[in-house]
Amino acid sequence: MTELIVKNGFVYDPLNRIDGEKMDICIRDKKIVKSVKDKAKVVDASGMVVMPGGVDIHSHIAGGEVDTGRLLRPEDHVKDVEVKTAVTRSGVGFSIPSTFTTGYRYSKMGYTTVMNPSTPPLQARHTHEELADTPMIDKGTYPLLGDWWISLEHIRDGLLEENAAHIAWMLKAARGYAIKIVNPGGLEAWGFGRNVHSLDDVVPNFGITPREIVRGLCKVNTMLNLPHTIHVHTNNLGQPGNYVTALETMKCVEDLAREDRPVLHITHIQFCAFKGEDWARLKSGAEDIANYVNNHNHVTLDVGQVVFADTTTMTADGPFQFGLYHLTGNKWVNHDVETETSGGIVPFTYKRSSSVHATQWSIALEIMLLIKDPWKVLMTTDHPNAGPFFYYPKIMAWYISKRARENVLKKINKRARKKSLLPSIDRELSLYELAIVTRAGQAKALGLKDKGHLGVGADADIAIYNINPERVDPSKKFVSARKAFDRAAYTIKDGEIVVKDGEIVKQVFGKTYWVDVECARNHCRKTRARANDNIKKKFKDYWTVEYENYPIREGFLHSSAPVAVKAEI
Amino acid sequence: MGAAKFLNYSTHRTKTPLIRKNGELVKATIDEAIEKAAQILVDAHYPILYGWSNTSCEAQRVGVELAEEVGGVLDNTSTVCHGPSIIGVQAAGISGATLGQMRHRADLIIYWASNPWDAHPRHPERYTMFSDGRFEKSAWSQYLSKLRGEMSKKKIQRASNLVLKKDFCFTECESEGLPCNMYQNKRRTIVIDVRKTRTADAADCFLQVEPGKDYELLQALRVLVRDGELDVDEVAGIPVELLEDLADVMIGCKLGILFFGLGLTMSKGKHRNIDAAINLTRDLNNRTKFLIMPMRGHYNVTGADIVSTWQTGYPFAVDLSNGYPRYNPGETSAVDILCRNEADAMMVIASDPVAHFPQAASKNIAKHPLIAIDPEVTPTTMLADVILPPAFAGIEVEGTAYRMDHVPLPLKKVVEPPEGFISDQEILCRILQKVRELKKRDMD
Amino acid sequence: MVITLIPKRVFKFPIEGKNISPDVFAKKSAKKIAALEMWEGNRKLSIGDLFDIKVDSSSSEELTIKIEGNVGKVRNIGFRMSMGQVIVDGDAGMHLGEGMSGGSIVVAGNAGSWAGSQMKEGTIEIKGNAGDYIGAAYRGSTKGMKGGKVIIHGNAGHEVGCYMNGGLIKILGDVGIFAGIHMVNGTIFVQGTSQGRAGAQMTNGKIILAGHSEDVMPSFTIEDIKAKVKVDGEKIEGPFYRFTGDLADKGKGKLYVSKTKNPYLKSYEKYL
Repeated sequence: MTELIVKNGFVYDPLNRIDGEKMDICIRDKKIVKSVKDKAKVVDASGMVVMPGGVDIHSHIAGGEVDTGRLLRPEDHVKDVEVKTAVTRSGVGFSIPSTFTTGYRYSKMGYTTVMNPSTPPLQARHTHEELADTPMIDKGTYPLLGDWWISLEHIRDGLLEENAAHIAWMLKAARGYAIKIVNPGGLEAWGFGRNVHSLDDVVPNFGITPREIVRGLCKVNTMLNLPHTIHVHTNNLGQPGNYVTALETMKCVEDLAREDRPVLHITHIQFCAFKGEDWARLKSGAEDIANYVNNHNHVTLDVGQVVFADTTTMTADGPFQFGLYHLTGNKWVNHDVETETSGGIVPFTYKRSSSVHATQWSIALEIMLLIKDPWKVLMTTDHPNAGPFFYYPKIMAWYISKRARENVLKKINKRARKKSLLPSIDRELSLYELAIVTRAGQAKALGLKDKGHLGVGADADIAIYNINPERVDPSKKFVSARKAFDRAAYTIKDGEIVVKDGEIVKQVFGKTYWVDVECARNHCRKTRARANDNIKKKFKDYWTVEYENYPIREGFLHSSAPVAVKAEI
Repeated sequence: MGAAKFLNYSTHRTKTPLIRKNGELVKATIDEAIEKAAQILVDAHYPILYGWSNTSCEAQRVGVELAEEVGGVLDNTSTVCHGPSIIGVQAAGISGATLGQMRHRADLIIYWASNPWDAHPRHPERYTMFSDGRFEKSAWSQYLSKLRGEMSKKKIQRASNLVLKKDFCFTECESEGLPCNMYQNKRRTIVIDVRKTRTADAADCFLQVEPGKDYELLQALRVLVRDGELDVDEVAGIPVELLEDLADVMIGCKLGILFFGLGLTMSKGKHRNIDAAINLTRDLNNRTKFLIMPMRGHYNVTGADIVSTWQTGYPFAVDLSNGYPRYNPGETSAVDILCRNEADAMMVIASDPVAHFPQAASKNIAKHPLIAIDPEVTPTTMLADVILPPAFAGIEVEGTAYRMDHVPLPLKKVVEPPEGFISDQEILCRILQKVRELKKRDMD
Repeated sequence: MVITLIPKRVFKFPIEGKNISPDVFAKKSAKKIAALEMWEGNRKLSIGDLFDIKVDSSSSEELTIKIEGNVGKVRNIGFRMSMGQVIVDGDAGMHLGEGMSGGSIVVAGNAGSWAGSQMKEGTIEIKGNAGDYIGAAYRGSTKGMKGGKVIIHGNAGHEVGCYMNGGLIKILGDVGIFAGIHMVNGTIFVQGTSQGRAGAQMTNGKIILAGHSEDVMPSFTIEDIKAKVKVDGEKIEGPFYRFTGDLADKGKGKLYVSKTKNPYLKSYEKYL
């Protein structure tokens, strides 16, 4: 039994309404407990901020797409290397770090849980292999299901329960955590080089619309009682004027909301908040989006904050990535996955001097600051699409300090600066709100009950930052704040000190969360058995692998952490 | 063929670990062999850890850690195979998909410098010409008609020779262009190669390229696909008019796929052939949907690249000698290091470089201590100083391997390995452990 | 100030010579220079383990590093240097002057591949032969040499000037295939023969082949015949066939090929 006590820190634990109170946190084995004996090891957090470990709801860190990105860009790696130490493996960084480096860098910033947001189910095994080699964090992945033939057919035929049973099968086969939807219908159209352009465009060869796909899967999500909502990358991503599509997507499931609980999560909303007829007249749609979200409770968002860096875009949105290749002329990877989904990778540089990029930077910040309830809007960069994740401390500084934002505003393209709403926004997030958008709110949106808080029973995942909120005003001393968030004074993972003064002191490996959908009733069991048989029968027609080789054994996961849920079929 | 591989896998296996003493290979215990192997690696200033393709990802993962621990160069069989394809991808990207996409959707299949009939025998029947997909049907019946037509021709010719005592003159479809069936609304296959292969016989159309001129042909096609004009009348031995027809067929298809093999990666131009081929498909994607895929062989070589990339950032030719990964094929690739005689030790696992490398490289392998982890007797094991025979990955040991289109598949354990045989993964773990012990001892 | 380095023995393993640079040696004593890191294979050593060092601070020359002996295994000599001189009295290893932004390097013998890779300014002169990828970009990158001069008296290998963005490469001997491949801008001059495919996939820049060339890419189109062409301020006598290409890449690069040394190109004259 190992006991630890984090003494005297300023604790920010929004899920338990603790706002900077000086208190002790007690840990026994891997959990937070009420008290420990005197012999417990002491971590002196005096004069420091104590928060739950960081939680990232959307970061591309593992799997076929990420690895092809790594392979594509030796020139990205060569500028940022990690030398082997006695405790850590060597690696490379920048926009697509190698797996060990990914884990170490997150941990150094005080992060303890990261979710890989998309996996083609056929290649989920690859994602889990890479996650097994990603140390320091707990993790999970979301299978891409928005263009899965079997799901599209069920939606077309109005077979909701059947669809739910098939999706439950798939989540277990791929050991996935949530239903991921990308450009619904567009990826199937991309199989023949086409796309869809609105929620009501008909998907070729299937006769259904993106609206029906989103609504269908939203209902399935509710029936299966999944801990997270459907996680959606909207149609028309990255197109001028697409804020309309984002609003329509949010509206299209308004009637499916239950008891004010979210039923939809829109990811990297910045890329879907463009107003204007074309790139030259690009404007921010942040106000419209914020307005809607401020008046509705069924949606959560993550921002996809742009940083000015040379990064790599990678999404399942094949047609969007093709468009980016056209825009930039850069090298382009495309990877369509039979029966299921697609994907694309294009290197991309965001420049301060570009009016469009600078406007995108501003849009993401505007959305964060204009949405009043921080539980609805979470910090991400859609790593690496809008920027590498190690820029998080910089972004946190922008959130808590208007001055930090102004410093950047001064240097961006003039036109973008004139259009930006930021000069008129004075709001600065408090440390309490910062803890919500970087950990508490993320865990809550994910439905991970033991993460994102420091109450008794929570996992002992803790970040301690060397910044004294009594002595230092983070809004003025944002550079010190940024440095503090960049190199955690301590990161504690499962009750062990793994980072000290921004350096890894112990290598640990976390667990992989996935949903294990159980049946509450006989009816459900029968439906699921039928689904099982159906998939077996159709397998050879749909895929080019054998049925027996498709599902992933639980033992294959390095450390399996199933989240049991009871389906309401 | 698959059955033969599975049922005979054990026929020529090495029965025990062996160590070379006074020039002769003698039996050793596994611990002795591991200790010797570890010592060789610890003493080395610039060891190469090579091979990796005939084993599981689980073993490959330990391999990277071992190469890092001993400060060596990690390289796999891509270096003599599709390494140039990878370099081409790093320059241009790649418009790819999983094999099922071709089965379901491709109506134009091109095999360029690749002969799957011999090298990937199940490929046409599973994924291309003779497979059935959701949107495209198999071309088997067209192939049968073609065969029947050819049989008939042969019969008529024989009859003519017997009866009329002369050859029968068939009025061929004398058009200079592509065969007429290239314009039909069905699955069609084109083979482009330097010689007429068995695959070419089965295909709808065969174009013969002058050896060493694939690059010129690819670049010329790119101009034509853009509706441009060429100053020349023929490229690579093919008339430009025919190439214009080919460009039209490529632009006019619903979904085209270009499979390419070692004929492109290992002929003049190497990775630039791939660079041009990838760029051709990029250009075609402005007009229609077009995909490209390297025909990878060698068991789990794709897995070796993938594992190396996720752990080090680079797919092959990874130099870990300075404590962090460095990549520069030509400088850090096994064949080149050996030709320059810069390595002083080598560990070969799951491959046979002495048989496959150029002689200038192989003769330098022989000059230095060599560890071989291989179940069979090969030219490489015959030169080795330590031989560690493992259990067969994929027959006696389960694991993970990757298909040529990057789809991961589980390898099953079908039979128990004989007494005393452990997996590649375990051998590597033990060597790694021993290496760490020896290094610690040296420091104390 | 002249600092002389003499190899202590014959080198077999690759040696990381990044610290052999006037910028790094500047203002350092012989003792400090000897202590600078230098990897040999997987052993972390110091310069003093591998070289004898002599410092002559009497001369008022700008900082010069003289290497007396064969350093064909030493890579990255002159890495990112911005001033001073490096003189190699023997062969030099790969990546000579990589990323340099000023100063000069002279090699009496041969140089390895990737000499002048990613250089921004300065000069490299190789009296003997050089390897492949002179002035090239790193794998995956489109940013090769941006400026400066590389002069090779002997022959060079393949893919010279790969993704070159500017500057001049002058080869007085022969060159392999793909000279100027993916060239973005700059000038390549080859006095001897070219094994072919010069200018493949180039989008701009100038390549002059004053000797025999195995071929001209079919994706190049003939423009005219030029009596002479200017290279590095000098007028080179032709006549030259002038081609534009690479059309496959919408390129506007200019390829000059000697008329007299390439009589097989006469067939292009019908388009003029």
